Amino acid sequence: MGSQHEALIADLRETARQIRVNVLRIAGMSDCHTGGSLSIADLLAGLYFHAMRVDPKQPDWDGRDYFVLSKGHCVPALDAALALRGFFPVEALTTHLEPGSIISGHACAHLTPGIDASTGSLGHGLSVGLGIALGVRIDRGANRVFVMLGDGELQEGSNWEAAMAAAHHKADPLVAIVDRNHYQTGPTEDMMALEPLAEKWTAFGWAVRCIDGHDMEQIVEALDALPFEPGRPSLILADTVKGKGVSFIETHHMAHFNAEQLEAALAEVGAGAVRHG
Amino acid sequence: MAKPFGEVMVELAEQDPRICGVSCDCWGFIAPLSERFPGRAIEVGIAEQNLIGVAAGLAVRGKIPFALGMNPFVTMRCFEQIRTDLGYGRRNVKVIGAYGSGLMYAGWGCTHHAMEEVALMRLIPGMTVFMPADGYETEQAVRAAAAIEGPCYIALAGGELPGQPPEDQRRFVPGRAVRLREGSVATVMACGPTVVDAIRAGELLAERGLAVTVLDMHTVKPIDRKAVGEAAATTPLIITIEEHTVIGGLGSAVAEILAEAGSATPLRRLGLQDVFAIMSGSHADVKREHGITAEAIVAEVMGRVGA
Ligand SMILES: Cc1ncc(C[n+]2csc(CCOP(=O)(O)OP(=O)(O)O)c2C)c(N)n1
Ligand SMILES: [Mg+2]
Repeated sequence: MGSQHEALIADLRETARQIRVNVLRIAGMSDCHTGGSLSIADLLAGLYFHAMRVDPKQPDWDGRDYFVLSKGHCVPALDAALALRGFFPVEALTTHLEPGSIISGHACAHLTPGIDASTGSLGHGLSVGLGIALGVRIDRGANRVFVMLGDGELQEGSNWEAAMAAAHHKADPLVAIVDRNHYQTGPTEDMMALEPLAEKWTAFGWAVRCIDGHDMEQIVEALDALPFEPGRPSLILADTVKGKGVSFIETHHMAHFNAEQLEAALAEVGAGAVRHG
Repeated sequence: MAKPFGEVMVELAEQDPRICGVSCDCWGFIAPLSERFPGRAIEVGIAEQNLIGVAAGLAVRGKIPFALGMNPFVTMRCFEQIRTDLGYGRRNVKVIGAYGSGLMYAGWGCTHHAMEEVALMRLIPGMTVFMPADGYETEQAVRAAAAIEGPCYIALAGGELPGQPPEDQRRFVPGRAVRLREGSVATVMACGPTVVDAIRAGELLAERGLAVTVLDMHTVKPIDRKAVGEAAATTPLIITIEEHTVIGGLGSAVAEILAEAGSATPLRRLGLQDVFAIMSGSHADVKREHGITAEAIVAEVMGRVGA
């Protein structure tokens, strides 16, 4: 049991590393929201390789758990997770901007298998996630809905409309994860302070758990404990580092690496052999 | 060389104490203003609705706020605030699409295509809509907007249009089209990011011995009705080209004038034909796929002259 758990954690850490490697490869191709993609790599590994029920061979399987990347600009990390999980070949990741590519600059449900909601305009995802959860309730389904939010994104008022409604409707299959990386295009607390953030969600009626979003033990523990309280939507407030893993772009919003930078970045995340599929 | 937006803001603010800046995560554009006049530059967070409401309130206090956001979001998320708080309220607020006009961020997908910005802003009574084509026109539009009493929209542009005279010999008059080329075969009208395509088409056609008139419609509202009327009277074909949906934008504005004048001059509207541009591709790829290119203009003209 203990060793099984350790193996799981080690495996998820390696997956997170693979996600980072692929995000960096994408950043070597074109403009890429690298910072916010690297900050969610560990969370995505926990979601797609441990918590979520999905079938890569049947992306539209009716019983699937849903994932909405409300911070749709960080699609490189989601695409990497989907590819590694087997939704499409890893080779497709570096085809962005090529004719016929299934990779989009922001999450696109039309182009990319495994994506249910097209996002990129901040402040849409939580309402859509709530709607999916309420639709599942009508159908008496057991599907859960995970929504990944940026911290800067929370400045959009629509999030708080959804937060209020989710608690009102006791939508406990709904799980929001806030990627609290403390930066938008600049430092979040300087531009528009969010603190006290956990208290805000609690006041809106959510069951809140604060974790280190790069600590795989804590990620798995939180995901295994869902829903945190029956009858309440769950909020995982994940403290993270924007650009996690690559020291010279930490806190940066975007990057487009030249060959030299790409090599240095890959070296930092320890790019050994890259797993395919 | 045209002055960057941030510097123009400082200059305007020095001349008029009512000028201020409001940013929706576009701080870089008003950071110089903040340095010069701390307190007259305000960040509202990633919150377009809040941006416009706050700007409206500042205008209630007699200020002249320039409210900045990214083009697709600052025209769509807060459309009702713009319509009601600025339009209905007749507030002296300048809405600035700071980056991402038309298909500039083509590769970022449909969420980032500002294909409705012209149509939406045109809908609002009393709104002046500027679609400058380069840095010079942008600077002029910003200065003009500061002097206009009432709401304005400007989609900021940069760079320099090819083949222009030195800046001190260029003219920018709000509501008046700029004639970039003269010819009798057809008139091509463009705004903002497609003006370069129209210029290029003029060159390509000239190489084939076909002279067309090229009009830079930097003010889409109020549009230069006289220029449209003249085009209909003097050339047998009018082509509009925009990186926007053809519904409600430049092409529509021209069509409305032609139809009401009973003009028989054929009109072709190049732009997004009531579709989302769903594809992975660069700016040039997406424009090519949707026929928003100099070559598409050339093809239209060749088709009509039967060459
Ligand atoms: C409605 C809307 N307004 C503005 C933007 C432009 N934008 C893209 S990313 C971003 C910053 C987002 O910050 P945050 O939510 O903290 O994301 P992360 O740090 O994870 O990148 C902004 C302002 C947008 N995509 N959507
Ligand atoms: Mg952030």
